[in-house]
Amino acid sequence: MDPLEDYRNRLADLDARIEEARSDPEVLLGRASGLLAGRAGCRVGEAHAYLLRLADEQGRQVHTLAADVLAAMEGRSGGGTSSLATAVDEALRPDPGRVHRQGERPPEPPTPEPPPADPAPAGDAWVQAVQRVLDTLPDRHILLLPRYDDTGRVTDYTFAAASPAVVDLSGRSGAQLLGRAMSEVYPTIMDGPIWEAWALTIDDGLPREVGPVPYVSPVERAPAEILLTVKVRPVGTGLLNTWIRHDEETRLAERIAQTERLGNLGWGEWDLVTGQILWSDGLYRIYERDPGQGPLPREETEALTVADDLPVRQQAAEAFGRGQAVDVTYRIRVSGHVKHIRAVVDTVRDSGGRPVKVYGIVQDVTAGETSRLRLTEVERQLSEHRQSLAAEHKVAVRLQQIVLPMPVGPIDLPGLRVAVRYLPAEQASRVGGDWYHAAPVGDGGVLLAVGDVAGHGIEAAAAMAQLRHALAALSVTTTDDPAELLTALNRLLFAGRHADAERSTLPVTATAVVARYEPATGRLVWARAGHPAPLLSRAGVTTELEPPEGPLLGAFPTAEYELAGAHLRPGDVLLLYTDGLVEHRHQSLDAGLAPVLTVLDHITAEPTSQPLADLLGRLRYTNPDDDTCILAARPLPARAGHDA
Amino acid sequence: MGEASVDAIDDGTLRLTLRGEIDFTNAGEIHKTIREAIADRRPQVVLVDLAGVTFMDSTGISVLVDTMRAAAEVQAEFRVENPIPRLLDQLRTTGLAKAFGLT
Repeated sequence: MDPLEDYRNRLADLDARIEEARSDPEVLLGRASGLLAGRAGCRVGEAHAYLLRLADEQGRQVHTLAADVLAAMEGRSGGGTSSLATAVDEALRPDPGRVHRQGERPPEPPTPEPPPADPAPAGDAWVQAVQRVLDTLPDRHILLLPRYDDTGRVTDYTFAAASPAVVDLSGRSGAQLLGRAMSEVYPTIMDGPIWEAWALTIDDGLPREVGPVPYVSPVERAPAEILLTVKVRPVGTGLLNTWIRHDEETRLAERIAQTERLGNLGWGEWDLVTGQILWSDGLYRIYERDPGQGPLPREETEALTVADDLPVRQQAAEAFGRGQAVDVTYRIRVSGHVKHIRAVVDTVRDSGGRPVKVYGIVQDVTAGETSRLRLTEVERQLSEHRQSLAAEHKVAVRLQQIVLPMPVGPIDLPGLRVAVRYLPAEQASRVGGDWYHAAPVGDGGVLLAVGDVAGHGIEAAAAMAQLRHALAALSVTTTDDPAELLTALNRLLFAGRHADAERSTLPVTATAVVARYEPATGRLVWARAGHPAPLLSRAGVTTELEPPEGPLLGAFPTAEYELAGAHLRPGDVLLLYTDGLVEHRHQSLDAGLAPVLTVLDHITAEPTSQPLADLLGRLRYTNPDDDTCILAARPLPARAGHDA
Repeated sequence: MGEASVDAIDDGTLRLTLRGEIDFTNAGEIHKTIREAIADRRPQVVLVDLAGVTFMDSTGISVLVDTMRAAAEVQAEFRVENPIPRLLDQLRTTGLAKAFGLT
């Protein structure tokens, strides 16, 4: 069969694919939009919209319209659509004889004819001619001239000419070897297989190849043993030797294999002239195919493409038809799972522009694609989350304002002046469940409380409302004993949790500190539920009150709370706070408490006319993560003063 | 999920290893993982290892409280181990240390 016929068939096959891609409706519309945009100087999107509108007005399929537009415009510019096969045929027709040689095997490397062995120029002239030829050649070539003894036997060889690439194991260049004897330079080669081959070729004049044979170098620093192949050809009266060092070849192959492995790469080659398809090891790995089976035929390779990505390949085939290098990412299904593949495809053309080889470098980018997709999904979720948080925040803020109006100035209660400040979290979405209570109770006493519901948002705000109102109601109707109040609040929160018990939601827990002050005696009785103890500052010294036992609210069905006591004197300042004031993610609680203690020390060491306002003014630090509620109280003199 | 891993031990102990910062951003997810693990395996002992936890906010504490309850629901013993000093302080302040088997 005519090999040219095969080549034509392959080109025709390519043409058919390109044509198929060109007639793909989406591709047509895309190209028409692009061309139109180029002509009209508008954006591709506008051209696209225009074509859609026009097709609609004319009542035609947009794809047929696009095809017409393309035909008209490409016809005018006179290019682009002629097929590869036609172009090749046109190129072939004028002189089939000439093309038969050049067109059929364009990429064939030069195969030098064996130099004529006979008519050797006399003396050194031919050796110099060989040297000039070798000067232009890559690889390692050495011309050896035999040395004969009196009986006509070959005893040794002289280095007569060498190509520039010749550098031996001890670093000597070819030029440094010239004129020297083989026995002197490479004694270990004597009487070995290469040595024998030389003798035979000198005898019969036939080229030989020896190797790979191990060569042991006498040089100490050189590799202990390397593999050599020598091609021996008779030239003139000497021997032309071409040396191939296999360690280098192996290294190169290993480097390529390593690169393929590291980069999840593979390359393939399709020779349009011979029809041969070559796959690298990496490509077999990507397609999970046994190299013993040989490359997958092209049709089968393409059939692995995930259906959704066929248009992508169509676009690529179309671009390929226009002579562009293709860089395309699509998905294939291999052994039941999907891989993301990036392929860069290019063509080697002969001097007449005719394609002779198609190269593809293929990379498995599944890992990158997968994490990119996951990232996109996470971003989407985050965005949704943010939106719902923003909506929730509005409700939570409103709820908090309704439930917990913050007094602007100090509150005067029997025998006690109280000031409250609420510092919202820096992040607006973290409006929380902090609350306070300060109100008179029976027998002239005053009840003070600060609490903190775990979590943020509507749920926390709702729990905060429940706790605060319950405390206010219970303290008036049932008991003003701090421990009993906390016991009740715990039961309330725990039961509330079970009323709407959903396993998927976190339980609502809360902490609180409740104190009852008797103005007549200055006595303070207090209890806490998992909450930091109050701070008492007196004459420049601030201490944390010794905390009694008491677990946080909502954790246990029943809980016991112990009472603790203290005395307030005029000039003292009592501080109840939620842990947003001292709790910071990256420092210890003690470190967070220290600046608060310093401010308190200062306030009671050098009292001003309005210590509470000054204190709260200085504790304005806002915690980025948590809201904070501070309640400061100081006993009023028996007869209420007029300072703040 | 990076902040919690679940190891069942053959003797009926469910070991839950938490890591990093447990706060409102991941508490829900961790809570779900733990609930499912306890429901699936019905262990006799639930053990929470806090050695790798550097920070907990109040929702993190809620996760521990709920784990304690979930263990109680399947009649399992509940223990928390290896909190760093700061977390131990926090568990004492919240009055949970004793119930968590910490002193």
